[in-house]
Amino acid sequence: MTAILKTPAAWPAILLRREGETGGETARDPKRRAAAAGAAGPAFDGLRRSVRELGSRGTIALLAEAGLRGRGGGGFPTADKWRAAANAEAPAKYVVANGYGADPSSLTDRTIVEREPDAVVEGVAIAAWTIGAEEAIIAVRAGSTDAIAALQGAIDAALSRGELGDDALATGRRLVVEVRTVQGAYMLGEETVLLKALDGRRGQPEQRPPHPSTTGYRGMPTVVQNVQTLASAAWILRNGAAAFRATGTAETPGTILVQVAGNEQGGVAEVPFGTPLGDIVKLAGGVGAGRSIKAVLVGGPSGGILPADRLSTPYTFEALRLLGAHVGSGSIMVADDRACVVDLARVLTRFCADEACGKTIPCRIGTARLAEIGERMSAGTSRAGDVQLATDLADDIVGSGLCDHERLATLPLMSGLRYFGPEVAAHVERGECPAGVCRPIHFAASAPTAPQPTMAS
Amino acid sequence: MSFIPGLGLVKGMGLTLLRFFEPKATIRYPEEKPDVAVRFRGRLQLLYDEWGTLKCETCFQCAQACPIECIDMGGMDTKGRFHVHWGPPETYGERREESALRRSGRTVPDRAFEHFEPHDTTAVDGILEDHDYDPKALLEILEATQAAYGFLPVAALKRISEKTGTWYAMIYGTASYYSHLRFEPPAAEIQAAALAGRRPAEATYVAGLGASLHGRTGGDA
Repeated sequence: MTAILKTPAAWPAILLRREGETGGETARDPKRRAAAAGAAGPAFDGLRRSVRELGSRGTIALLAEAGLRGRGGGGFPTADKWRAAANAEAPAKYVVANGYGADPSSLTDRTIVEREPDAVVEGVAIAAWTIGAEEAIIAVRAGSTDAIAALQGAIDAALSRGELGDDALATGRRLVVEVRTVQGAYMLGEETVLLKALDGRRGQPEQRPPHPSTTGYRGMPTVVQNVQTLASAAWILRNGAAAFRATGTAETPGTILVQVAGNEQGGVAEVPFGTPLGDIVKLAGGVGAGRSIKAVLVGGPSGGILPADRLSTPYTFEALRLLGAHVGSGSIMVADDRACVVDLARVLTRFCADEACGKTIPCRIGTARLAEIGERMSAGTSRAGDVQLATDLADDIVGSGLCDHERLATLPLMSGLRYFGPEVAAHVERGECPAGVCRPIHFAASAPTAPQPTMAS
Repeated sequence: MSFIPGLGLVKGMGLTLLRFFEPKATIRYPEEKPDVAVRFRGRLQLLYDEWGTLKCETCFQCAQACPIECIDMGGMDTKGRFHVHWGPPETYGERREESALRRSGRTVPDRAFEHFEPHDTTAVDGILEDHDYDPKALLEILEATQAAYGFLPVAALKRISEKTGTWYAMIYGTASYYSHLRFEPPAAEIQAAALAGRRPAEATYVAGLGASLHGRTGGDA
């Protein structure tokens, strides 16, 4: 299980209960936790309130009042999504909870599913009730046995208490939640790709509109939400919109799980929106003694590389996008003074290019060319005009992309160019790496047949 | 008119010579177009990149778009999993064997065509029965098939296509997308991966990122 970083006591705890509140050992073991939940039963108060007091419209109004936004990286208002799906006329509707956690270096989604499966299932149930869906799916990564066991335990417990099932909450309506495992592609984190995978098709994104909230799983209106969003929705229903508004910022209330990695330690932490990046980095102890922070990688594989002097930036969707980074997978990684920004951007861009699904040309060819430019810089074989070429190419990719993968895949290289101009210039103009990381000789030796440099092993 | 030997030849060559000195022009092109079949889309060709590897991702979107199902492929894609031939692979296999027999007097085994050999499909039939022949459960069917055979034999994919009524191109396109599904027996894949110096994209990324973030010290890190 992932380490949970200790956060200051003043910070709100919405998604993860603090150690001690759930009874120590039980909280750490998902199977025992699920069993305990089944016995004692944290009654689904939020679901009861949604069903018995508020109804569909009331629930959506409450979420709108609370200002809940999607935690999957996009930050789309949850109430708008639910309202569109609730208003759609269709023979069947679905709710899909995205707990895939596409970023291989971030475990935030898995952590909340493992530690708070009840809140996730309750959120799924609330969403299904609100939009009028009978079936809901929680998609998790295949192989995450703890997460699957925890969710299944929570679902079974809810079934035995009568909160789910053929006659959920004695209202005569059917409500079933199913755990499905998906695997095999980074792109599964994207909502339309996930829907395709659940439908048994090749995972390539679809053009929007139509949004999944009108045409989604099996062509029916579908609400696709990140598991953190659903857990937050359940919390709002239990505690009210005002309490939720009291946390985070005015545009983005609430908290989000982040995966922080410093030099010595790392783990998952729950932080309120608007927390300065520097404070989040401090949770993981920064880079340790004797080293200084050179850059912070915010947003996972397609994240931006921000310099140390931007550590005062508040962690919100808007502020990060302005700087050329994004919330993304909630990953925040610290690079110390030994790291080379060009090398880092190269690794990230190469991964994004490799994981492109191949549907659109700006993505399939554009990101591959971008990765090659990064590799040329890193290998000391830059051509004249490479910087301008990369910038123009990135503009074109952003302008003509189909999904966010390709648009965001330009961020590592572009933020590197933006904030670390002199370092990039040293690579491009003189073939030197100030940090001493990029070594053309190394690449030539490691790749005897392929002209493009392979990833250092 | 008297018969002059070679006059016809001279006349003919004269016309050719005249044409030879005429200005070169595209005549009547936009107004009059060559008469081709309505379904003609030009000649199909797979493109190669600068390093001589096929750009084809085996997404099979072309095969899915073809109204008369004349496109099919087998072979090695950009991820080193399969190589690509055009046309029905069985035909290729047969023709190749025929010509090998003609030239050398013996058949030459070629691994590239092993994929198209017939396979025992009883296991697939059982799996399809379990999933109620539902094309919506294709991913589960493919995963179960891989568990049964160790990989996805082409014969099994064709069987799934026949039984569920799903387009073969659709099934192949789905199977080629997910990195955990493979078309070759594991041993061969491990060997192929070792030859290509590849690791799973995610493992490579995590290792590369770790090395990049915290600096590489000494040696190859």
